[in-house]
Amino acid sequence: MATVIQIIFGLIAALIVGAAVMVVTVRNVIHAALWLIACFFGVGALYLLLEAEFLAVVQVLVYVGAISILILFAIMLTRQVTGEGVRQLVGGWRLWLTAAISALLFAVAIVPTVISHSWNVPAPPAPPGTPEPLAGVAELGRAFVYEFLLQFQVAGVLLTVALIGAIVIAFEERARRRRVLTLAEEHELRKRLAHPPPVEAPAGEPAPAPRATPISEGEVQQ
Amino acid sequence: MVPTSYYIMLSAALFAIGVLGVLIRRNALVVFMSVELMLNAANLVLVAFARERLSIDGQVLVFFVITVAAAEVAVGLALLVAIFRTKHTADVDEVSTLRG
Amino acid sequence: MESLQIPPVDLRLLTPLLIVVGWAGALLLIDVFFVPDGRKKITGYLAIAGLAVAGLAGIPLWNLSGSTFSGMLVLDRYSLALTWIFLIAGALSIAVALDYLPRHAIEQGEYYPLIMFAVGGMILMAQSADLITLFLGIELLSITLYILTGFAYPRVASEEAGMKYLVLGAFAAGFFVYGIALIFGATGATSLAGIAAYLGRQPFAPQEETLFLAGASLVLIGFSFKIALVPFHMWTPDVYEGSPTPVAAFMSVGTKGAALAALLRVTLALEEAQTFWLPILAVLAAATMILGNLGALGQSNLKRMLAYSSIGHAGYILLGIMVAAERGAEAFLFYILAYTLTNLGAFGVLIALEQRGEAAWSIDDFAGLYQRRPLLAVAMALFMFSLAGVPPTAGFMGKFFIFTAAYAGGLGWLVLIGVLTSAIAAYYYLRVVVKMFMQEPVREVRPELTRGLNTEILIAGVATLILGLLPTPIVLLVERSLVALGG
Repeated sequence: MATVIQIIFGLIAALIVGAAVMVVTVRNVIHAALWLIACFFGVGALYLLLEAEFLAVVQVLVYVGAISILILFAIMLTRQVTGEGVRQLVGGWRLWLTAAISALLFAVAIVPTVISHSWNVPAPPAPPGTPEPLAGVAELGRAFVYEFLLQFQVAGVLLTVALIGAIVIAFEERARRRRVLTLAEEHELRKRLAHPPPVEAPAGEPAPAPRATPISEGEVQQ
Repeated sequence: MVPTSYYIMLSAALFAIGVLGVLIRRNALVVFMSVELMLNAANLVLVAFARERLSIDGQVLVFFVITVAAAEVAVGLALLVAIFRTKHTADVDEVSTLRG
Repeated sequence: MESLQIPPVDLRLLTPLLIVVGWAGALLLIDVFFVPDGRKKITGYLAIAGLAVAGLAGIPLWNLSGSTFSGMLVLDRYSLALTWIFLIAGALSIAVALDYLPRHAIEQGEYYPLIMFAVGGMILMAQSADLITLFLGIELLSITLYILTGFAYPRVASEEAGMKYLVLGAFAAGFFVYGIALIFGATGATSLAGIAAYLGRQPFAPQEETLFLAGASLVLIGFSFKIALVPFHMWTPDVYEGSPTPVAAFMSVGTKGAALAALLRVTLALEEAQTFWLPILAVLAAATMILGNLGALGQSNLKRMLAYSSIGHAGYILLGIMVAAERGAEAFLFYILAYTLTNLGAFGVLIALEQRGEAAWSIDDFAGLYQRRPLLAVAMALFMFSLAGVPPTAGFMGKFFIFTAAYAGGLGWLVLIGVLTSAIAAYYYLRVVVKMFMQEPVREVRPELTRGLNTEILIAGVATLILGLLPTPIVLLVERSLVALGG
């Protein structure tokens, strides 16, 4: 049994290191992101080996489910839709191949883990005197509301700040800022630009709040 | 049972790869991913130590690290989008040279 | 079903923190629902009021000390004094931003609560006696600063500075976490007391010692990034230049002050590790003093010059940390206070000269300032003198205390480097003064002084003078604030 686990560990470790090397060496950013996902999965599998089931779930949910997706979104949002970007995307069979390989590696690595782990066995009642086996979710939860209550709250504040910050930085639809124009509005705007009327500040707002573009913003702010 | 030292070695390798990635790559996104590798390495070694020491503290810290990583990624994505949008409009919008 | 226990928590000990963070959260909502667009200054005033209330609420805590949350948070006079310094820094940074933001068309009400959150993170760092809490405090501060740096929306420079700061900050966080992990693995504890207790039980297994030393080095690297110690300082000038000037002002005193304060507490707590830790700090301090000041020499952009000068000052402050056990901590507190006020004042003058669209950061823009705005020029000269350490200013007293403490602590060669680099620094600070008083204006710059800015420069200037002329009451206060910080 012990050797089996060690072999599994070796496989997962190889996956992790290999994927990590790919992340930092691969030329294509999307490939790097996909390798990163493979790496995250590997680390999650190791958490299972380490009997930290809750963290394994969190790892998959947050890292694989959220962070990787955010990174992929960032790649796609910031990629020029013209030029080489398209070519890289069109030649995407390699991308699929990479995805397949990482999926395969993941399967090879995690299936034995999943099998070897005793999922349905209820935790045996610990004989008195032995330290409680680690990382029951209940224990972790208790730590959060007891010992680490303060840190837990701070983490909440931190997430709130990040949320607000992301909105402040990236959300356009604010009075002062340009908002995303509908096609009709854009059309209207182009017409206005062709025959510029005097720029008027919308009534009721002391600071001139340009409705639409940096153009009028620049003029009004003079 | 896999000895803790194996985990330490593995996570050290992962951490080293992450640091290397930050240092050798120019692309901001890849650098960001390398940082995630470093954080994962730290998490891994924390969980391993938590098991060895039979102390929940390590896992609690992992949880917080994941929280922080998520927050950082959210802000980073927002910044990237903002940069892209500004530059993009700057390219498209010839009139934006009018700025005060 | 066993019932959940709520730990015995003494909330009094974190009154200022609770007020700052709670009020910041409330202010976010108030700002959205009650403050009309274009009058976001109201939010700013409310934020300053909140910081003031937090400061006042700290007064009754002067005679209180203790720890709560399982010993992870301590309140002592040291942390309380730092809390007040941070509150002042936050309030002054808001005051200079009140008119700056609308003038540059980047005003958003969230700026003010975000500054408050950052101050909350700083207070948490000053109070934390546990590496996990410290990590969260650092991250709360850092993430807020990433946001604030990239705040000036249509300005690409600001956003790119934010991105750069974020990537390097996350890199530093990686080192910090890994360091904590290794320390945890070696000692089985994350609280400073627990680690110190473990270190006290020498000798320990060589394997664990290796782990601990590696961890401590990594934590130190993480700190160095946040404090911007050479060779981990490369990001500072770019980030300062790109970020909105009030944010740069806040960053230059905030991050540095809080990270240095935490470093001091860690250094003091881990007495056993000092034989390993101190030589590294010495090298870092020497490199920082030399390269920071040399870097400032070549700058003609005043914002970058102040960035390099802030790096150099971190080197001086590091001397205070190294001899923290003997009088160094007092010198440290005094220096932080003096540096905070002076630097915020200098940035205030910079903001007054900065107009929309054209950045009056070039040193040439200061030429002939005396003829146009004599008072402003005098104030700037005062701040430059103080940064250079010319008597009778706060900066001089700060340097004096730091150097005497370091000399008494046996760091003679570092003091020598400090004095020499101060002489170098005097050159580039005084160059600004010469420009202002002796030269004719090169181009038209109309300084815009508004109420918030006036008040800030006035407060900073008067405080700089008072600290320099009559340091005794403050020194007494500082001395008393360190009674409890035995370790």
